[in-house]
Amino acid sequence: MNDSKTMNVATARLAAPMLQVRNLHAAYGESKVLHGMAFEVHKGEVVTLLGRNGVGKTTTLKALIGMGVHRTGSVIFEGRELITLPSNDIAKAGIAYCPEERGIFSSLDVEENLLLPPVIGRGGMTLDQLYELFPNLYERRHSQGTKLSGGEQQMLAMARILRTGATLLLLDEVTEGLAPVIVKKIGAVVRQLKAAGLTILLVEQNVRFAESVADRHYMVEHGVVVDTYANGERGDRHETLGSAKLSS
Amino acid sequence: MQAFLSQVLLGLINGAFYAMLSLGLAVIFGLLNIINFAHGAQYMMGALAAWLLATYFGVNYWAALIVVPVIVGGLGMLLEKTVIRRTYRLEHLFGLLLTLGIASIIEGLFVNYYGAVGRPYPVPSMLQGAVNLGFMVLPLYRAWVIVASLAVCLITWAVIERTKLGSYLRAATENPPLVLAFGINVPRMIMLTYGLGVGLAALAGVMAAPIYQVNPLMGSNLIIVVFAVVVIGGMGSIMGSVVTGFGVGLIEGITKALWPEASGVVVFVLMAIVLLIKPAGLFGKPFSGATLALDPEARPPLAGEPRQYLVPILAMAALLIVAPAFIYPVFLMKVLCFALFAVSFNLLIGFVGLGSFGHAMFLGLAGYVTGHVARNWGWPPEFAILGGTAAAAALGLVTGVLAVRRQKIYFAMVTLAFAEMVYFFCVQAPFTGGEDGMQQIPQGKLFELIDLAQTMPLYYVVLCIFLLGFLIAFRTINSPFGQVLKAIRENEPRAISLGYNPDRYKLLIFVISAALAGLAGSMKAIVFQIASLQDVYHSTSGDVILMALVGGLGTIFGPLVGAFAIVGMQQYLAPLGQWVVVVQGVIFVVCVLTFRQGIIGLLARWIGRPL
Ligand SMILES: Nc1ncnc2c1ncn2[C@@H]1O[C@H](COP(=O)(O)OP(=O)(O)O)[C@@H](O)[C@H]1O
Ligand SMILES: [Mg+2]
Repeated sequence: MNDSKTMNVATARLAAPMLQVRNLHAAYGESKVLHGMAFEVHKGEVVTLLGRNGVGKTTTLKALIGMGVHRTGSVIFEGRELITLPSNDIAKAGIAYCPEERGIFSSLDVEENLLLPPVIGRGGMTLDQLYELFPNLYERRHSQGTKLSGGEQQMLAMARILRTGATLLLLDEVTEGLAPVIVKKIGAVVRQLKAAGLTILLVEQNVRFAESVADRHYMVEHGVVVDTYANGERGDRHETLGSAKLSS
Repeated sequence: MQAFLSQVLLGLINGAFYAMLSLGLAVIFGLLNIINFAHGAQYMMGALAAWLLATYFGVNYWAALIVVPVIVGGLGMLLEKTVIRRTYRLEHLFGLLLTLGIASIIEGLFVNYYGAVGRPYPVPSMLQGAVNLGFMVLPLYRAWVIVASLAVCLITWAVIERTKLGSYLRAATENPPLVLAFGINVPRMIMLTYGLGVGLAALAGVMAAPIYQVNPLMGSNLIIVVFAVVVIGGMGSIMGSVVTGFGVGLIEGITKALWPEASGVVVFVLMAIVLLIKPAGLFGKPFSGATLALDPEARPPLAGEPRQYLVPILAMAALLIVAPAFIYPVFLMKVLCFALFAVSFNLLIGFVGLGSFGHAMFLGLAGYVTGHVARNWGWPPEFAILGGTAAAAALGLVTGVLAVRRQKIYFAMVTLAFAEMVYFFCVQAPFTGGEDGMQQIPQGKLFELIDLAQTMPLYYVVLCIFLLGFLIAFRTINSPFGQVLKAIRENEPRAISLGYNPDRYKLLIFVISAALAGLAGSMKAIVFQIASLQDVYHSTSGDVILMALVGGLGTIFGPLVGAFAIVGMQQYLAPLGQWVVVVQGVIFVVCVLTFRQGIIGLLARWIGRPL
């Protein structure tokens, strides 16, 4: 007889994942970038896509949200096939995207930037809660969005998608080029979001940061997933990962 | 003093309309990234709709102020959703061509139904009369127009800068894909925005109805001035277009009081000055808006190896040599004149990607110069033609220096505006004969040998000149100079990093193109013995675009085929009057939507080699 605990874990594992990606191909015009990505994310997990520059991590997120790439394959989110939907409908299904280049709007002030993404479901944070979480943004709420420092812009880009009530967050290199103290702050925020029940797919080159927040990792190379491991089980594979940052 | 002030007031009123129209253009441009050439036609629709509603349904002015913008704006949204939307993934040029075609269709249709005569629209009773300000008498309605348009501009500004909807709009202008990825329905916003811009134009039309006579062509000249206003103000700032609109109107009014003859051109002179000093416009930000992905299919094809064309060129020459045996030679000569004109236009657009929307200025001016020196100074035809060509080249140099500083859409607007300036000049200059045109231009004897008054010799001389121009263009494309141009067109930043100065190359090709257009115009003056305003008019600039498009942009033989098709059609449909304009508009729209490669492009794909 199986004991009930293992049984529960097993059923949880067997239950359909929140996000299931299979055989995902993506191309910019003629140039193909993804060649059959496959991975899954369960509800409440923080999962990372790790890999060197240019392997297709950003492209994967863009393919998920349906932005600027031609994509084929299957992306099932909460039982629903998204691959044919336009990106506004994907967003409405409950996925929010924080782009690598942050995408702060220069013609909007900080507060307008925060209020831009429409609320698509319940459970999002209020403006006050966001300001509480990121006091700097409150100080600068009437500044032009792009006048903020790099760290502040990153906070803004993340804060912006927390209002919407999206259940899956796609975060692209949120620590890139930031000072250690800010990276720490972002790590705390990510853990807090996880504790609040959000599901996060995180693209990272900073392995130390990834391993400080995530449950599982996928290694990406040349547009496919080449390996996966649970946090803390890296062992001696991928020695290159030993360095804090994957460099190209 | 009274006279001066009333001119200034008139200028302010015009400025009110410039401001509302350029505001609408700016709003549309921000999100759609196209210049709405149909804007003038939509303004006219506003005025005419007000007149129709008043005449047939007794709808008064105040109701029309609300109802008309809603109706016309709604039609605009329908147009965006069904037609304009299809051009977003294409090169900018096609959006221009499409809305240009739509403008022709609308204006042509209304002229057919209502004629080109102006109709009076009564000033609403509440605003009749005038107040005496002591130093001048101010008609109430005019005061109302200024106040109301200022209010409209302010409200529009507030909606865009201060509301949630406006923040969507600004964000979508900056980065449409990201806004879409946040779950905002950007296509619907684009539709609403187009509707808003068109509604503003229609509102301006209603307000204009009691001041100007309501007629189907009231928007077509106005819109060119508004383009100049837009170039002066620069795209990118809502406030900028309002301030520039009123400012330009005011300056025009002052000029009218001090030097009436110059009032028609002062706006274009202003434009030239601004281009010299601040190419991005007074309030413009450098154009950087996220552009939508280009459809590779939509690019005009590039030419193949020169030797591939040897046989087709010989075949073309042979066909043209025997053609008079089958086709009326005078018609053929007309085709050849326009074919050379189209070759010159195609040289710019097909191989450098510069769409000149004012090419008629070179054709027309050269015709006048040739006619003048042949008739009044007794120059023999060979020198008269050279003189006309040189004049066009000189005009090309002057306008080109300014025009090549701007890209794509702006280039189109700048050339259009310069052509309008040349048109105004030709209307007023004594030597052109004004509305009557310059008649009885002597044909003379070429090299004192060939009597051009005889049809067949004239035909073969025209054919030789056409072939000469054709080969000059062909040679230009295939020279090392042409290769650099291609490189600039493919990737301008890279060409710059390789040490080329794109502006200089563009200027040179612009002058060559202007000279070829001038050659065509000079030839035309000798053939038909008349130079007229029609040849300088913007509809002729539109004709040549249509010829190049129908024939196939960027093809070698397209211009000839396109000229044949369009001149033939104009001849054949001439009895239908204004319907020709409508038909041409339809051809524009159909070509842009489904037939971008043109006749020769299609043929080339069919036989699998460039033509
Ligand atoms: N907009 C684009 N157009 C064409 N190629 C692109 C574009 N964006 C990225 N690429 C290419 O796709 C590949 C993957 O890029 P990306 O997904 O950004 O990698 P990563 O995020 O893993 O660094 C790279 O070779 C890159 O050059
Ligand atoms: Mg990346």
